[in-house]
Amino acid sequence: MNAPLPSLSDRVSALPGCDKALVRVLFGASLLALALGVGFGWLTALGRAGVAVFEPQQAARLLTLHGVTVFFYWLYLAQTALLLVLAGAERNGGGLALRSLAWIGGALMLAGFAVSEIASITGTPLLYDGGPALGRDDPAAVGWFSLGYLLLGAGLAASSASAIATVITRRNGGAGGALSAVGFALFAWAGFLIVSAIAAVNAFLPSVLWALGRGAFPANQPTEWHILFHNLHYLPLMATVVVWYVLVQALTGVSSMHGARFSKIVFASYLLFVPPTSLYHMFLEPNLSETVRVVGSLLSLFVAVPTVMAFLIIVSSLEAHGRSRGASGRLGWVGALPWKNPVMAAIACAALNLGLGLTFAFVLIQEKLAPLFSDTFFVPGYFHFFAVGTVSLSFLAAMMVVLPALTGSAPWRPALLCRMPAVISLGLLIFGAAGIAAGYAGVPRRTFDISYGGGAPALWHTLMTAVGIGGTVFALGLTVLVLGVARSLLPGPKDSVVQQPVVSWGDTPLRSQVAAWTGPAGVVLVVVAMALFTIVAFDLMNALPLTVIGGGGHSH
Amino acid sequence: MSENRHFTTRRGFITGMGFGAVGLYGVWAAYGAAPLPFGNHHETLHQGHGDAAGTLGHAGADHDAGSAMTPEAFRREHAAFVDRFKRPDGSVEPVAGQAVSHDTGHHDMNAHDMGHHDVDAHDMGYHDMDAHGAGHHDMNAHGAEDGHDMSGHAMSHTAHGADADQPVDLYLLAFMWGYNPDILRLRTGVRYRLRMMADDITHGASFQLGAASRIIRLRPDSVSDQIITFTKPGTVLIYCTVYCGAGHDQMQGKIIVTASEQGGQP
Ligand SMILES: [Cu+2]
Repeated sequence: MNAPLPSLSDRVSALPGCDKALVRVLFGASLLALALGVGFGWLTALGRAGVAVFEPQQAARLLTLHGVTVFFYWLYLAQTALLLVLAGAERNGGGLALRSLAWIGGALMLAGFAVSEIASITGTPLLYDGGPALGRDDPAAVGWFSLGYLLLGAGLAASSASAIATVITRRNGGAGGALSAVGFALFAWAGFLIVSAIAAVNAFLPSVLWALGRGAFPANQPTEWHILFHNLHYLPLMATVVVWYVLVQALTGVSSMHGARFSKIVFASYLLFVPPTSLYHMFLEPNLSETVRVVGSLLSLFVAVPTVMAFLIIVSSLEAHGRSRGASGRLGWVGALPWKNPVMAAIACAALNLGLGLTFAFVLIQEKLAPLFSDTFFVPGYFHFFAVGTVSLSFLAAMMVVLPALTGSAPWRPALLCRMPAVISLGLLIFGAAGIAAGYAGVPRRTFDISYGGGAPALWHTLMTAVGIGGTVFALGLTVLVLGVARSLLPGPKDSVVQQPVVSWGDTPLRSQVAAWTGPAGVVLVVVAMALFTIVAFDLMNALPLTVIGGGGHSH
Repeated sequence: MSENRHFTTRRGFITGMGFGAVGLYGVWAAYGAAPLPFGNHHETLHQGHGDAAGTLGHAGADHDAGSAMTPEAFRREHAAFVDRFKRPDGSVEPVAGQAVSHDTGHHDMNAHDMGHHDVDAHDMGYHDMDAHGAGHHDMNAHGAEDGHDMSGHAMSHTAHGADADQPVDLYLLAFMWGYNPDILRLRTGVRYRLRMMADDITHGASFQLGAASRIIRLRPDSVSDQIITFTKPGTVLIYCTVYCGAGHDQMQGKIIVTASEQGGQP
């Protein structure tokens, strides 16, 4: 149970200066992307609520900027920075292998960030998928936009190569030279990032060639995009569970009671469960065969298996240790966790939001319900539980541990930051509940003016106003959290460093027959909720005054 | 150690719980939406006539959409449909059942059987219902040029001759930024074959039905078919659900559904 290595913070602060500089730049850029993306998203939410009125073109530009900035640059820059710093930490003191490749990767990603932002600000708005059909008359916009993603992809591949080299050549890393569970997870994560990079090249190189007049119109881009997009969905979730794994150990000293090998199998199983489920994004395509729809739905039932297993590994290990130390009652062990630490608050909220996200993701994977939900606000309504509530909160939590260790600065106002995950989750709950209800009611996903000359139901406006309120709450919470985390990037007074509260449960010998019901109960609750919302959707659809035979389902 | 472990902390239990979401399959099966062969048998029981045919009709529709109707054929049939049924107020109201199918059937079979120069027989076929020459000529010429398409039509209309339940054809073209026709007048209880296509880039066609909407995505030059029946009168907003440029928000149409006097099939 006991980690043979020094603490994560100690290993991070022992990184060579040049590695620290690189990851500081990447963390800084990722936080900038998040802050900008939250700003664009907030304006988008105000536009959707009808509080702010934008010209159609400007509205589409905001939406494009929001998606590009958070979905691509925040998530990928943060992942790269975390991957590199955790890989470096695995190599206890040795620093990054293939360091120059890591620097080149970082530079390429930053160049991509700049190009994508400028292209999104100046060109025809293409939305974040850069669909060339919208820019048929503006090849330059399509070309520059796509070039941004190509640079990002190239940078990802280079940085990930460095991370892989680092974990496989690490020194002093545990007994016998075998990869630790975390080392193995980092290896798999980096591998997936390289797959993302290849998918990005597939999807966007033809657009660049077309814009240069050296290739045919990239009519196939939407299909290639789906492959990248699916990867984009699940990779951050895998990264999130890796981060939880690391953070729980840092916060409580507890590592898996189920052995490193079991964790490795679970991390590796992302490779098995995630790629075959990508079909469900295409349920709304008119000419997808029934067989593909059916197989797609069925496979999608398995998409969460690795995430749920990783969650259970972590929660059961924590609960067993907490109970072995004498925690009693149903949730006594939960109460004994270090709640004054903002990292703890963030990952706990992340776990709750994961449950909400999974609930509605599984309503969407039923192909027969696709005509009800796809392309409605249901989709942003539920995925913000993942993107903001789960993934972003977890990445920020990791930064709250890593950044002070990198710079030696004290965490900024931990008591205030400790409340932000709850504020963000509350805002998300309002945003998500109203947004998902709006989706059930048919509110289109990317339409700012939903009045249709008075033809739309009045309920639409009410729900979208609530979306705007929820969005404002979580944007505020997120902004405070981002600023607080970013503060630790700057050098601070070193002697004021106060150790954040942690517990050390890792040394506790496990009592025999100690039960761990909390995780399984959570899973059961989520499955029951999935069933309930699926039933509501079927009943709603069957009650509509229209029967339909044939036709398509949905996507994102 | 492992013998002393409570079952909730065993790897086998965790693995099993990892598959918990698969339990949702039971709900799908209860609603006839279980994607395995034995699930589909229940469909008849649970989904009523609409979805009972759903799976089968669905597969059929996919084939129709993919191969039977070319974009060119769609454009011709669409133009003819709008010409034939346009009312002075600009809305389009297909006259109940037989008119469309019967008429087209005649035309197609004539063209097929007698060749493209049989203009007289062709025109006569139309005179009783409608007098739009241009549309006929197009269709006639088309039939002659494109034997492939023709035989498809002839087949479907032969079937029509044998089966009075053949649905009424509707054509809806989505473009930047609107629908043509933008106002359709339909009847409750009538089975329509709604054929849809996007003209330029990808659009959506979402039908707002009160509590919720039904959406389909329309790819350019790809024809989608649905057999639809409205069960209640009312006004249905049609709106685009795929961002398609500056006029996306304004892209809309409507269907005015009135009760059938005889409340049934043509
Ligand atoms: Cu459109």
